[in-house]
Amino acid sequence: MKILVVDDSSTMRRIIINTLSRIGYTNVVEAEHGKAGLEKLAQGGIEMIVTDWNMPEMDGLEFVGVVRSTDTSIPILMVTTNAAKEDIVSALQAGVNNYVVKPFTPETLKEKIESLLG
Amino acid sequence: MEQTEIDALMTMGKSSKKSKTASSGAKPASEAPDVNAPAADAKPAPVAPPPAAPAPVPPPAASAAAKPATQKPEQPARLITEIGSVTSVTERETNKVMDKLDMISRLLDRQKDLITGMMGNENAQNPAIQSAIQQIMGASSDIQNQVYEAMDLMQFQDITRQKLERIIHHLRQIHDYILDLLGTGFQTEEQEHHKVSLSRTIAQTGTTPDENKPHADSVVEEFMRAQKKD
Repeated sequence: MKILVVDDSSTMRRIIINTLSRIGYTNVVEAEHGKAGLEKLAQGGIEMIVTDWNMPEMDGLEFVGVVRSTDTSIPILMVTTNAAKEDIVSALQAGVNNYVVKPFTPETLKEKIESLLG
Repeated sequence: MEQTEIDALMTMGKSSKKSKTASSGAKPASEAPDVNAPAADAKPAPVAPPPAAPAPVPPPAASAAAKPATQKPEQPARLITEIGSVTSVTERETNKVMDKLDMISRLLDRQKDLITGMMGNENAQNPAIQSAIQQIMGASSDIQNQVYEAMDLMQFQDITRQKLERIIHHLRQIHDYILDLLGTGFQTEEQEHHKVSLSRTIAQTGTTPDENKPHADSVVEEFMRAQKKD
């Protein structure tokens, strides 16, 4: 299982990658914003995406929209500080499969990932 | 910057603008940028309205008039740069702490391997030794869990960074507004690639993990139920 982690914070990427590693997902590629994420995606082999929302260059919502225009099946988990109900609904309408609000516990990330892959 | 200071600056700006409008036909105050407005690609965040009674400030028209129109006020721009550098430094230093935690984690893994090897040694088959080894293994696992928890707590850095980005955004708007009032023609230098969409709930975001999980889960469930009905 190859997972793409998109977040402009190197600290957050590291935390997410560490958590993924602890729950058994060690094949992870990372990108610092949506545009870089699309480039990684184009290289192929990605089976799941974990993305932030607030990023430079291309934010998470736009990134999800671009991904969904060509791929309707890849599971996408959004991990963001945006907690407003309207934001969560916007993300789901854009094509996100599940949503985690930062800060999160590793158990939550595990639960969401397993539910998407289950 | 405290809200009262922002309010004071805004009060100063508005009064000054009125004065300029009356004397030189400058733009009306209604065209002033809204300091509460988020970045172009973000939704507005709830920000407390200015108090009914404005904070005492020096006479605005006098302070605006004291500066030559061609002089670029450096203080706010420097402040923006300084706050920006704080976010970079904290991210770099947080990564150094993460490096150390990673190292501790690897050393613990190595320790566990050594202890596991020791357990198989024929000289360590004494029940008392085996019991002691088990206790050491348990302690190692506890330390490992604490290291993981410490790593997870580093999420505060990202949240703090986003809070500072929002403050920078407001400062930029105030800065550009003041420059506009002074008629200098200068604008904040903000490169496109540094523009980040801002979280409108970041001001309320705390550092307690999963604080918003029940809320987010219920919105997701509600959405999914509605999708299924359709």
